[in-house]
Amino acid sequence: MMMTTTMTATQVYQVFIRATPEAIWEAMTKPEFTEQYFHGVRLELRDGRRYSRTQGGVGWDEAVLEEDPPRRLVHEWVSYYDPELAAEEPSRVTWEIDPREDGTCLLTLVHDRLEGAPKTAESVAGEGGMFVLSGLKALLETGQPLT
Amino acid sequence: MTDDDRVFKALADPTRRHLLDRLFERDGRSLGELESELEMTRFGVMKHLRVLEEAGLVVSRRSGREKLHYLNPVPIRLIHDRWIDKYTEHRVAALADLKNRLEGTG
Repeated sequence: MMMTTTMTATQVYQVFIRATPEAIWEAMTKPEFTEQYFHGVRLELRDGRRYSRTQGGVGWDEAVLEEDPPRRLVHEWVSYYDPELAAEEPSRVTWEIDPREDGTCLLTLVHDRLEGAPKTAESVAGEGGMFVLSGLKALLETGQPLT
Repeated sequence: MTDDDRVFKALADPTRRHLLDRLFERDGRSLGELESELEMTRFGVMKHLRVLEEAGLVVSRRSGREKLHYLNPVPIRLIHDRWIDKYTEHRVAALADLKNRLEGTG
């Protein structure tokens, strides 16, 4: 069944991962990990910027707004991989890692300030955050990326 | 109860699936908003939302004085990865397409 959805300015994704906060932080910020679950994109934090490079060699960077390893990362988001989306206003992505007593961590991804980026909102909704978090979980818990 | 059990249990109830559909249509809603669309007491809606939150299908975040509810699709994705991918997804997709076409909902 197909349904249309009204895009809202905030999207929230959450998953429990059986890994340490440090391992999750590494998987979020080291290119050798991100390329395994983030659409092949190599990501890196450097000098207050978040650098991305696609497998096709397209590169861009976004401002890091908060960096508190291994608990919290906030950065700007512009979908530079698509010219139409890249023309929209920057939105914001917040990653929160919350360790639990049972040895798991609750990883929350909030994509907000999407008011000025409706096409980006539509493009990253559902499939985007969901795919990234399930891929990250699979990689950390099994050592294997999802195929 | 495992995580999967909680998700399947949460999805086993029509009112809870209806709540998820409402959030899918428009995300980030308060209890009051959700309640106004259901023939149900505030307490009933709260109870269902709690089951959905325990299953991780709904995440609530504070925004000022309001508590807003968001649909979290990740557990459904994990069930998909675990239960659909494994059992010949292509054939399942073909049958789902056929059903949608025959029923005119695709």
